[in-house]
Amino acid sequence: MRRCAIVGMGMITGPQPGRTARWLEAEATRRAIEDAGLKPSQIHGAIQLRRTGGGGERAFLTDAFPRVLGLPVNFYFTVGRGGCLAGLGVAAAMSFLDLGIADYVVLTGAVDDYSRSRETKAKGALGMVHLEKEGYWGKPFGDLRAPSHHSFFAARHMHEFGTTSEQLGMISVQERAWAQLNPEARFYGRPITLKDHQESPYVVWPYHLLDICLVSDGAVSVVMTTEERAKDHPHPPVWVLGVGFGEAMAELWWEKQNYTRLAVQTAKEQAFAQAGIELQDIDAAQLYDCFTGEVLFQLEDYGWCKKGEGGPFVAEGHIGPGGDIPVNTSGGLLSAYHFGDLTGLSEAVIQLREQAGPRQVPDCEVVLVTGHGGEVLSPGMCSIHSTLLLGRN
Amino acid sequence: MAYTKPRPNIDGDIQPFWEGLKNHQFLLYRCQQCGAWYWPAAFCRFHDNQPFAANMKWEPASGRGRIFTFNVHHWAFDPAFKEDVPYVYALIELDEGPMFGTNIVGTPPDQVRIGQRVEIVFEDYPEEGFTLPKARILEEAPS
Ligand SMILES: [Zn+2]
Repeated sequence: MRRCAIVGMGMITGPQPGRTARWLEAEATRRAIEDAGLKPSQIHGAIQLRRTGGGGERAFLTDAFPRVLGLPVNFYFTVGRGGCLAGLGVAAAMSFLDLGIADYVVLTGAVDDYSRSRETKAKGALGMVHLEKEGYWGKPFGDLRAPSHHSFFAARHMHEFGTTSEQLGMISVQERAWAQLNPEARFYGRPITLKDHQESPYVVWPYHLLDICLVSDGAVSVVMTTEERAKDHPHPPVWVLGVGFGEAMAELWWEKQNYTRLAVQTAKEQAFAQAGIELQDIDAAQLYDCFTGEVLFQLEDYGWCKKGEGGPFVAEGHIGPGGDIPVNTSGGLLSAYHFGDLTGLSEAVIQLREQAGPRQVPDCEVVLVTGHGGEVLSPGMCSIHSTLLLGRN
Repeated sequence: MAYTKPRPNIDGDIQPFWEGLKNHQFLLYRCQQCGAWYWPAAFCRFHDNQPFAANMKWEPASGRGRIFTFNVHHWAFDPAFKEDVPYVYALIELDEGPMFGTNIVGTPPDQVRIGQRVEIVFEDYPEEGFTLPKARILEEAPS
């Protein structure tokens, strides 16, 4: 297969009241094409990256951003499962590029969750209101939002391994420390301590408010191409070194054995084999962090520590600024902005281009980006994991 | 008082389950060929199936199981649950094998533990036309 690379990126952060997700998609795409030094007429395909889950479907678009932006694309479609968008989108784009039916593909995802949640909060709900999926199980029982079922995993991990809320809190504290180095982050200028975490209210025990990701407005768009053209752009290419997937529905439902881990195994094996690298080659990890528990599970699942030892591991540090494995260097979904795994993808591009300013990881050559869907058993089934390895060479 | 909480989302695959609840029957989907139990409906994973899973039928089950994991909702994401917080939402490993999510009722949240034995109880809402399956803790030693 031809090597593929990201050669342009556009990003929008911060509240965007009055703008639809469609408009944000169009603007982020425009920025990505400009960043790549291209003209819209050179984009042959477009992929919409759409996050689902968290208690239902997001209300979405009746129109397509390539139409809004006037891109003369030969294909346009939507991918995404839970918070896994970038991995699926990159794999799809690579197949079109490798077939030779597109020179450039643009991948774009946008959210208006922050503005939407302001509207529904004004009507009395705590947070966003979703359109319900057919057959959705848990709402009559009060399973209403992502914390309603993701917290099952953390409670089970605590039960099996003695993991504590304070240990989970150390993930939140270290990610917030990264956000202090990112002026675009929602919680830039607002560091927290473990005491702040412990004193934040329980939303759904065992999760405190500070164990839970934020919601955002914004968008990320990237332009991909193949090695023939990758070096013909203003910025150095960010190479796709490997991509892999895992799916846990069978073992979740029938073996009941992975309530303390995510579907990392096959995803990691596939991606790392393609890249020909080992865990110690990872310079920064952008781990899907919808909740603190997911970060803990992945640190174990990828092998930075043993299963069950994630609690003591994060309590020692390791993942914050200056740590030996920098995790979620933007501040992540917990402290920066929530675009699904596009948060991690955008940060990987920024780090590999050495544009990260005070949060730049020195000699950053290989970055791991993971995607995750965490709805399991109840209410639904969204148990995907993706591993994306990006590199400078 | 008007029922303001979300109503059950009943699609064609699970309708017989909800019909059973109205008769205070807790049904699981069972393979007539090998005896395996499923919830919600599924094709049997142990062998080939007949078209549209004709080898599967809804059958009465024990309605008993064990708390596999749980959480405690302190926030009412929907104002209709304001009177209910803090409430327990649990994942129950049924004795027949499948997992089932519902509320634990009749026990204060701080006394709920993983491993406790539970039994399904039926909350009738005749004016709404449905019965909700909830769970109460049995006085048996956890394991
Ligand atoms: Zn069978």
